[in-house]
Amino acid sequence: MATAANYFDQLRKTRVWRSIFRSGTGASTLHRSLVIQQDVFLHLFPTKVRRRMLNVGVTWYLGTMTFGTFLILVSTGILLMLYYHPSVPQAYSDTKDLQFVVTSGLFLRNLHRWSAHAMVFLVFAHMFKVFYRGAYRPPREFNWVIGVILLLITLLLSYTGYLLPWDQLAYWAITVGSNIASAVPVVGDKVHFLLLGGNLVNANALLRFYVLHCMILPLTAIFFIAIHFWRIRKDGGLYAPPPAEPQRAKEGQ
Amino acid sequence: MPDEKQLEGKQPNDFDRRAFFVKLGLGSLSIAAAGTAVFGYQFLSPNVLYEPSPIINAGKPEAYPLDSVTLDVNSGIYIMHSSEGFFSVAAVCTHLGCLTAWKPELGIIACPCHGSKFKRSGEKIEGPAPRPLPWYRVWLSDDGDLMVDRSTPIRSMQFLRV
Amino acid sequence: MSDSKDFVAGVDSNAKREPRRVVFVTRRTSAQVRVADEEVIQTFPEGLFRAAVAIEILAIVLVWIALLFNAPLEGLADPSHTPNPAKAPWYFLGLQEMLHYFPPVVAGVLAPTLVVIALIVIPYFNINIEAEGVFVKDRSRRLPVFYAVASALLLFLTIFRVYVALIPTLIMIALMLVAAWSSPGSASGARRYLASKPLSFWIMTWFLFELLVLTAVGTFFRGPGWSWVWPWRT
Repeated sequence: MATAANYFDQLRKTRVWRSIFRSGTGASTLHRSLVIQQDVFLHLFPTKVRRRMLNVGVTWYLGTMTFGTFLILVSTGILLMLYYHPSVPQAYSDTKDLQFVVTSGLFLRNLHRWSAHAMVFLVFAHMFKVFYRGAYRPPREFNWVIGVILLLITLLLSYTGYLLPWDQLAYWAITVGSNIASAVPVVGDKVHFLLLGGNLVNANALLRFYVLHCMILPLTAIFFIAIHFWRIRKDGGLYAPPPAEPQRAKEGQ
Repeated sequence: MPDEKQLEGKQPNDFDRRAFFVKLGLGSLSIAAAGTAVFGYQFLSPNVLYEPSPIINAGKPEAYPLDSVTLDVNSGIYIMHSSEGFFSVAAVCTHLGCLTAWKPELGIIACPCHGSKFKRSGEKIEGPAPRPLPWYRVWLSDDGDLMVDRSTPIRSMQFLRV
Repeated sequence: MSDSKDFVAGVDSNAKREPRRVVFVTRRTSAQVRVADEEVIQTFPEGLFRAAVAIEILAIVLVWIALLFNAPLEGLADPSHTPNPAKAPWYFLGLQEMLHYFPPVVAGVLAPTLVVIALIVIPYFNINIEAEGVFVKDRSRRLPVFYAVASALLLFLTIFRVYVALIPTLIMIALMLVAAWSSPGSASGARRYLASKPLSFWIMTWFLFELLVLTAVGTFFRGPGWSWVWPWRT
């Protein structure tokens, strides 16, 4: 209502507000640009984007949705961590507890699992869409490479997370997977030993996968996601074929 | 700033103080980095493993009748008693580590994961397994128990006569 | 205008600069030259809010699925009992299917490494940047190379009896043959479309096709002992 709007305006003129949001507020282009430019996280993005790029048909918002699933996974993951002990065989009991005893535990576990599958699917779909759009071409080559690295990180996150419930599905998938690692020539057995923290998939392996899944890989992912977003901006924004010549927009790709 | 005289007297192998200290600094950093890598690798590589001992006590030989194939699931080995004697073969498939199963009606060992099949002697019949199932050393302990050492594969066709 | 033009020309977009500069970009390799000024809008609020809506819709769909379907959980991990079949999660089933035909070094290490390297180097090859139909230029030289590579690949897959990978490969080769015998001036729209596709398109589409087929086979057509099963018969 009018009074609420007035109150909000008054709030925005206070010293406290001005100390937090230094650039002031307003509906002008300047103020709206400053919202992006003055925020430490948001200034990864440019202050303006091409209008055409926001149409769904261009990118299908696949990159955005991949990031969205990542956010869901981080938040549900952190909540799940509060009830999960990465030890053998407690991990399995904890997973069962989450499903049957913890309020909303079943929902959180389900959301985490399905978002994980969705993220793997979306990251592949995003890669193919970028490829078929031709958005990997210079000057965006390095961002494509960053994207491939993010694909690998996503698969590794999914793989390490798969072991954590410590059920039959998890145990044997990881046994087979880690034996593939030992097939690497020369260093294979050493890699296998380091990955598992031993010769078998047991408590050491579970703990290492837990640390990888909850700490090392998410931090690496965030690091590369930041670079990925930054490079979009620096390489000239989201790619679209130039609209000026219709025949050029149709051919190629 | 180096003056003319210094420049003239310069030999090809000479380098000035700055270059010397740069080399010294980079050299020490590389040694430190190499040392960190070595210690890092040793840290990551556990020195103590909480895993079952590779020496398995399989009990009395009388428990294994002639021509029997017994799978010990906990240690991942087969204990077999043939006419030539006792021997032990790995039960872990050499392909990707799944536990195989003895099929008495077919007389073969089969792996459920990718369909590898082996003879009793560990020789591969078919499937993607790259190597035959390894044999393990079998001996009799002082108490008269069958002992198997799972840590090192031995040459095949070595039987224990009891 | 004439299609034989090998460059794009643009004029410096800042009219105040003196003297004005003219840019010639050859072979359309760079996306840095803006041919036209486009309409731009503010990231905040429009751009960000659109992204927020997309993420919200995604979240609603995922929450709905999470409320309806439970994540699987089998029995406690048991090292003494391997389930039959022991399948990897769906995104690795393509790889697991390949493990059926090739040793782990090839299917598990070599193939994925080559795929990753191939993906990384895509944008560094000129042939991908130009985005012309693969048989439009230099046809007399490229056609024999195509025949050689296609035959080698088919031979390789047949020798190792990787029939599941053979079928997508045959289909893609057939489509490429249609492309080779079509041109941008062909009668049907489909043939014009195929003729205009560059090499990168063919390789990537083959890869996507193989990925889909191998994953589908690993999911639906493999049963105990990784034996072949017809899903409608179980």
